Amino acid sequence: MATSDSEDFESADEGQNTPIKKDRKERLSSSNYTENSRELDHKTKKTQSSSTDTVKNKEEPKSSDGWDDFDIGDDEILVAQNAVPSNTHVLQSNKNETIDSNYSQDKTTKKSEETKSKDTGWDDFDDWGQDDNTIEDPYKPIQTQPTRQETKSIYPDIQEVTEKLANTTTTSTTGGWGWGWSVDSILTTATAGISTLTNQVSQGISTVLETSIGAPDPEELARQTAKEKEAKANSPDGLESNINTNNDKVDPKSTSDAFPFRGLISEVTKFVETTGTKVISGGLGTLETIGKKTMEVLQDGDPGLAKKRALLGLAPDEKPVLSQILREAKAKADEDDRIREEKKEAKEVHYENLFDDFEGLVHLEALEMLSRQVNMRIEERMRGLSPEKRQDLKETLQQVAELCEMPEDDEDDNDPSEDTFKSEAFHERLQTATQDLGLKLQFQPIVKQYTEAIDWLSSGGELTEKQVYKRAVASLAQATALSVELYHKAGEMLLVKPRRSTADEADALTQMTAVLTKHVSELATLFTEKLNELQTENTEQIHNYITNIFLEAGNSSTYIQNAFQLALPILQIGAV
Amino acid sequence: MAYAYLFKYIIIGDTGVGKSCLLLQFTDKRFRPVHDLTIGVEFGARMITIDGKQIKLQIWDTGGQEAFRSITRSYYRGAAGALLVYDITRRETFNHLTTWLEDARQHSNSNMVIMLIGNKSDLESRREVKKEEGEAFAREHGLVFMETSAKTAANVEEAFINTAKEIYEKIQEGVFDINNEANGIKIGPQHSTGAGAGGAGGAGAGGASSGGCC
Repeated sequence: MATSDSEDFESADEGQNTPIKKDRKERLSSSNYTENSRELDHKTKKTQSSSTDTVKNKEEPKSSDGWDDFDIGDDEILVAQNAVPSNTHVLQSNKNETIDSNYSQDKTTKKSEETKSKDTGWDDFDDWGQDDNTIEDPYKPIQTQPTRQETKSIYPDIQEVTEKLANTTTTSTTGGWGWGWSVDSILTTATAGISTLTNQVSQGISTVLETSIGAPDPEELARQTAKEKEAKANSPDGLESNINTNNDKVDPKSTSDAFPFRGLISEVTKFVETTGTKVISGGLGTLETIGKKTMEVLQDGDPGLAKKRALLGLAPDEKPVLSQILREAKAKADEDDRIREEKKEAKEVHYENLFDDFEGLVHLEALEMLSRQVNMRIEERMRGLSPEKRQDLKETLQQVAELCEMPEDDEDDNDPSEDTFKSEAFHERLQTATQDLGLKLQFQPIVKQYTEAIDWLSSGGELTEKQVYKRAVASLAQATALSVELYHKAGEMLLVKPRRSTADEADALTQMTAVLTKHVSELATLFTEKLNELQTENTEQIHNYITNIFLEAGNSSTYIQNAFQLALPILQIGAV
Repeated sequence: MAYAYLFKYIIIGDTGVGKSCLLLQFTDKRFRPVHDLTIGVEFGARMITIDGKQIKLQIWDTGGQEAFRSITRSYYRGAAGALLVYDITRRETFNHLTTWLEDARQHSNSNMVIMLIGNKSDLESRREVKKEEGEAFAREHGLVFMETSAKTAANVEEAFINTAKEIYEKIQEGVFDINNEANGIKIGPQHSTGAGAGGAGGAGAGGASSGGCC
């Protein structure tokens, strides 16, 4: 609800809103990272700490939730700059030189760079669309020009752009405040609206901010400086040293350029933090008071507030009751937790993930590489031939391919009915199928897996339908992975086999494919039979499970036949 | 399993130098004195953490026998790191390094990080190749060098992890284009929506946003 609401807001006043948009995005994403914490304070901390992890959306407003982020952000910028091969070093050192003399100017430059560096990497920031265009051009010149002065003269429009940027960033600081005081992601409903409001009247609010919060006190500033020095001092070996070096480079810049600015930010941060703790420990009263006061302030400068309120689902003259919003937000968070839990579960029984975990994917990848390489060899050979001989070769290849065509489903030979013999019979069928292959393939793993599945199902223990379903998908994924491995190994061994007998090999692999595809469908049947046996009222769920199991069995069959097709060139090259 | 990056490694070197044992020690922390000959390629995987990020190492352990050379060559492609292993107790395995290195350089991407490993350092009494010789070879060819023992596990972790660190640094420096999977690096599932068309730098920043949202 919050999202769609604020989406509406933003389309209304696009120009100013972008940083907030981003802000909100960030917040939403950090709330995603937050683990199932239902407690407010827990959530607050986590939101803050997880955004520290989230190195992606680094920028000024971001720093409002803990200025530690600041360094990381700068760090990241350097990373991005490093991607630009040669100019970066010049750029960096140049920056360091110019900063002290006129950091206010440099600040704007830096900002444009910051934005740019994000723009390069992040689809996330598509929202920044309108900024992209303006920044893209000036950025390049800035990079190549040795000093900002020059840049300015050559590209007069830069200043305009950078100033605009600086403005947006300043605005977003206050926006960050709006976001910050609401503190925890639980407040999504409230904040989406309020941060938008805050943004709208940001000019007014910044005054309020300064008066209500006060100027940065010396202690705070001293603390910052100390912390930065500490960061510099710490320079462990190995990999981190690289990153720390980057930090060192950045530090002087960020210290100087952010001083007036950052003092305020960290003050805001501090305010946010303390407010956060107070809110949680002292109840909702404090927050409500702040909220009401804010609303009053906001209303002064915002004639459109009524509309926003309406969008928040409130009557025109009713002030938002934060406790109510919090309750709703909590319900929403609970719902999110539930969804996340379900997602997690869905991942657990995700066929492709399991197939990967059982090394099916990597065997398939290796088989593909072999297949591709052999194909290239065949083509190379073909190119060196006269047209006549080339035709012969093509025919030979075609013949091999025909040998590998899967027969129509032949008579369903009766399986031994006893479960205990099933895996033995399967092993036998595999061996019979591949006896003319001339290779010693290892069938034990796939046979063992079958035995284990049968044992598990007949162990007599109480099984829930969920357990059976999970095991079914996992078993299918594993059987498929082991099958793909068989083709991969067969392919490798065929390529080093001294004497090839292509017809036999093709026949053997075709038969093996038939046995394996039949195996996965048998495996699926085994589990669906078990599901049908289970006594439960939830027949619809059972039906869903059964459908899914057969779907995955079909999936398995496709994988197996694809693997067989990948092995085809390996068979073909033996004949040419 | 959620990871920020996946690095593909390949282990190469003469037969019997202990490639599969190094892998087993790294992935399972155990040692098997008698090991089946590796046919073609076998796989192992393990998660490590670098700079707070989960990185999955997917290791391709190749068969060292001459017969498999033509096959294993086709697996070099798309490896971000290689462990080139020799046996400090068998001089000839050291002498073959040049051939292995040529092979690797020819069939892999030029940015591949190669770690030279003198294995079986526990068998000091049977040593035929001095540590200094390994170091000199590594220096000459721009490799990282380490002596390990798959048996005692000495330096095994370090060998794999230091290689990963080197790759990671290259990513940070923008040397690797991580959007090109031929470089042997894949971005973890949680980035499928986040990182996009951007350059290596931007995408590298994407890697920093690990945390697993789903």
